[in-house]
Amino acid sequence: MIKAMKFSTVAALAMISAGAVSAQSADCPIKVGVLHSLSGTMAISETTLKDTMLMLIEKQNAAGGLLGCQLEAVVKDPASDWPLFAEKARELISNDEVDVIFGSWTSASRKAVLPVIEELNALYFYPVQYEGEESSKNVFYTGAAPNQQAIPATDYFLDELGVEKFALLGTDYVYPRTTNRILEAYLKDKGIAEEDIFINYTPFGHSDWSTIVSDVVALGADGKQVGVISTINGDANIGFYKELAAQGVSADDIPVVAFSVGEEELSGLDTSNLVGHLAAWNYFMTADTPENAEFIKEWHAFIGDEARVTNDPMEAHYIGFNMWVNAVTAAETTDVDAVREAMWGQEYPNLTGGTAVMGVNHHLSKPVLIGEIRADGQFDIISETDPVPGDAWTDFLPDSAVLKSDWKDLECGMYNTETESCVQIQSNY
Amino acid sequence: MPRALLSALALLLCLTLAPLAAVAQDTGLKAILQQYADEVAKPGRQTVDTLIEALVTSGDPAVPAFLQNWADREVYQRTSDGQFFYAKKDGGDYALTDIVTGDPAGTAPGAEIDQIRPNGGVRRVIGTALVQFQLSDPNINNRIAALDAIARSPSADQIEPLRASIETEEDPGVLARKKRLDGMLTASFGATPEVRIAAIEALSSELSVDVRAVLNQILTTRSGVAETLPEGANIARELTPGKELTETEAYARLVSAELAQPVQSREQIKAALTANLVDGAVGGVPLGQLVSEAGRDRAYAALAAEGLVPARVTEDDRAAALASHVFYEEYTEPDAAITGAAEAALGSVRTRVGLWQAVDFGLDSLSLASIYFLAAIGLAITFGVMGVINMAHGEFIMMGAYTGYVVQQIIPDYTLSLIVALPLAFAITFAAGVAMERLVIRWLYHRPLETLLATFGISIALQQLAKNIFGTQARPLTSPHWLDGAWIINDVAGIANIRIAIFVLALVFLCLILFILNKTRIGLEVRAVTQNPGMAASMGINPDKINMLTFGLGSGIAGIAGIAIGLYAQVTSEMGANYIVQSFMTVVVGGVGNVWGTLAGAALIGILQKGIEWMNPSNTLAAQTYMILFIILFIQFRPKGIVALKGRAAGD
Repeated sequence: MIKAMKFSTVAALAMISAGAVSAQSADCPIKVGVLHSLSGTMAISETTLKDTMLMLIEKQNAAGGLLGCQLEAVVKDPASDWPLFAEKARELISNDEVDVIFGSWTSASRKAVLPVIEELNALYFYPVQYEGEESSKNVFYTGAAPNQQAIPATDYFLDELGVEKFALLGTDYVYPRTTNRILEAYLKDKGIAEEDIFINYTPFGHSDWSTIVSDVVALGADGKQVGVISTINGDANIGFYKELAAQGVSADDIPVVAFSVGEEELSGLDTSNLVGHLAAWNYFMTADTPENAEFIKEWHAFIGDEARVTNDPMEAHYIGFNMWVNAVTAAETTDVDAVREAMWGQEYPNLTGGTAVMGVNHHLSKPVLIGEIRADGQFDIISETDPVPGDAWTDFLPDSAVLKSDWKDLECGMYNTETESCVQIQSNY
Repeated sequence: MPRALLSALALLLCLTLAPLAAVAQDTGLKAILQQYADEVAKPGRQTVDTLIEALVTSGDPAVPAFLQNWADREVYQRTSDGQFFYAKKDGGDYALTDIVTGDPAGTAPGAEIDQIRPNGGVRRVIGTALVQFQLSDPNINNRIAALDAIARSPSADQIEPLRASIETEEDPGVLARKKRLDGMLTASFGATPEVRIAAIEALSSELSVDVRAVLNQILTTRSGVAETLPEGANIARELTPGKELTETEAYARLVSAELAQPVQSREQIKAALTANLVDGAVGGVPLGQLVSEAGRDRAYAALAAEGLVPARVTEDDRAAALASHVFYEEYTEPDAAITGAAEAALGSVRTRVGLWQAVDFGLDSLSLASIYFLAAIGLAITFGVMGVINMAHGEFIMMGAYTGYVVQQIIPDYTLSLIVALPLAFAITFAAGVAMERLVIRWLYHRPLETLLATFGISIALQQLAKNIFGTQARPLTSPHWLDGAWIINDVAGIANIRIAIFVLALVFLCLILFILNKTRIGLEVRAVTQNPGMAASMGINPDKINMLTFGLGSGIAGIAGIAIGLYAQVTSEMGANYIVQSFMTVVVGGVGNVWGTLAGAALIGILQKGIEWMNPSNTLAAQTYMILFIILFIQFRPKGIVALKGRAAGD
């Protein structure tokens, strides 16, 4: 009798709270915008992220949705066309009235979206490692900042591989150029002479790598250990690694560490010649944790193909989405400002073990992993750091060393610590 | 009494056991591994040396095998007791093997053992340690691994084991490499100057990267500064401030060598003045006068005279300090005869490297030209001969590449699949070309704008179709084993085999097209129809049929080009778009309507692109921009291209 009463009380309470919740966010279903290129040169990487988002949303719906509402994905294809990202973002916010957008791969596309989401005060989750030097009020950066990928990888080159001469090869757009600028300053800090840093930029989809690879090999003529730091993006990587193999360059002679080559990119390649080359990410599919095993199982079940791989930006979306879900639950509304404030300090377990924490500069604190390519296209994790908090403004460029981002107390993404003033609120730099 | 006896016994026990324990601790492989367990499990390049030293000096016969397996990541640590084993995956579990005896040591599930993964830097250290065990190893691969390790990190103590192993070496290839390495080691670490100079002189006929590395390391310099050139130092060159190095740099060197005082900055002067403010005056100069430069100078001079601050360094002081010192670069190698020989050897090596770089440049250009030629030759027929602007030409290239990919999925043997794929790609794109001609282009002859738009639309549709069928992921088109690798003439010049194959393919097609157009009935008819379709028709040639076949031929060749391009680059739905602009440029620059023109155009663009890349190696994108600029200019001066048709054949 008492038991039954207790039960009914609980049930009534649950119903009341459910009713209250649905009253708070009257506009069911909650719409989640997905803005990833499904065609064009970046489709190779971004299509997977769209599928990841659909999987996460499906799982959340199966678990009862959010605030008593079902989630609904609104997918747009900006076709690897940067201005189109801005248009599609505006469409998502104004026409489809989505509550949050998960999207972009290249920095160029994120830069295109920024003015729109800041104007319309929307919420944007960006899942890819990037060049930093940015902190928007409306963006949460769940990928790595340079100090969470490029700098630890360079340290690994310097300390563990004893590299004395660096070739920084990149695709010609904002991410490689900024990253290489930071790395150049960092390497000079570390005592590497200017003539020992070789920088080269190539267009998207570049395929004629023979001269560049020969140039890199020739760097070794003064007896110094040469290493390549690659910010080459998209399918140009395939030609690059093929040429390395064709010229007989093994990882023991000239190691290559890539910031944009993961499991997904390697699945288009014959990796037998790439064994031993490196990649730096916050996640590898080979991470040996129960969470990761579960995630891979769900992914294979969702996509219906046991051969599909998982990668770092997928983990970033996994963490970002779940943090957003928790923040919405904590704020009890999908209102952008309330959710944004609830995001600060959100914690969620990494797939690689440990816990990711969202900082007030809108960057995650995550561990940095370095992996060596195996013959099966997977990575052997050979180095893992403690969680590193993402740094929006790098300490290695004099202009940005004085800048700081803190949306909670300073309410500014570009705060000059020397003049103690906010340089600007908007991120149209 | 019993107590004394007991302590005596204990003492005796200690005396006998202590050396035993020490022996066990120092020499046994397992003991060493346990002693350095953390380092074995998580080795670091800079810290692993002590462990390797302990292993190598222990003399345990199991050490070489352990080092090898350690580097190959076959060593595992059991989490329960921290013991190390070799392990192999056996079903769901791992079969463990004892490290010393090699006996089976049971099994363990994957969760209870951790694989140990030394990184690349550590593997190099291990490789160096293994050298002495591997130089005379019966397995030739191990001997080669040892030589690789020496080449990567040469050191003086490798000379003796290397020389010892030369006498017993049987394989001629390995023997030659050993002798070569011996020469390089001798040049760097030989016992007497005579031996080293002889070795250095022998190296002057080489041009490989590692020989240049050896010579450059002998010639390493460090910069120095002194009042006069130091006696007996091996001076590389003297530097004059203002010429080889700027005066600021020179003065900074003086300061860091503590031969001069640093120049005070305005801020430092300001700080010094503020710090010495006494009763409203600094050094007797009232505060009011400090607003002017002269007043501040006076105040600072007064402070300096009192010894409160270091004297001001003036321009004159600076110039005098620079003039009274010599700046030089000094070889770290003290023997001038050796550096002289190395300098001479490096000079002759450099000349030869320059020559071979030119050869390499030629090969690269030729290869790029042949790729452009292959991509453009189909277009040379459809655009050049027929005058049809076919924007979907790139998609025929893509179709050919995907044909190659599909054939590879069905026929796993790469050589065989290539043999099947080449004619199949031709057949498929030939059919696609014919279909396109019949359905679209036929209705649009002599309406170039409509043709352009229609074919552009088809191009987009075909790209999307490919995306729907094959997905957006780049697909591998793997070349057969015999096309892997490269024809390496020496360390400077070399070319990938696949590029040679593309070159040969381009040559074959050049001959084939020339033969078809000039020596066959159909070629004659094609030329007749393109020059004057009305006249050709009245001679009994069916222009419709000829146009169809010509377009099919051009498309079919694009399909074969697709396979060639897919083999060296990537197969994606957009690959055609990457080549369409280059192809049109090639045809336009070369001269419309002539196969030789296409050849000339491809050669010009290939050489030009490589030439610009060579001048400006940091930006391949800029190279392409400059090239397009050049081509626009070129077309201004020679609008009909390199090989311009004359007379009636020109058609206007």
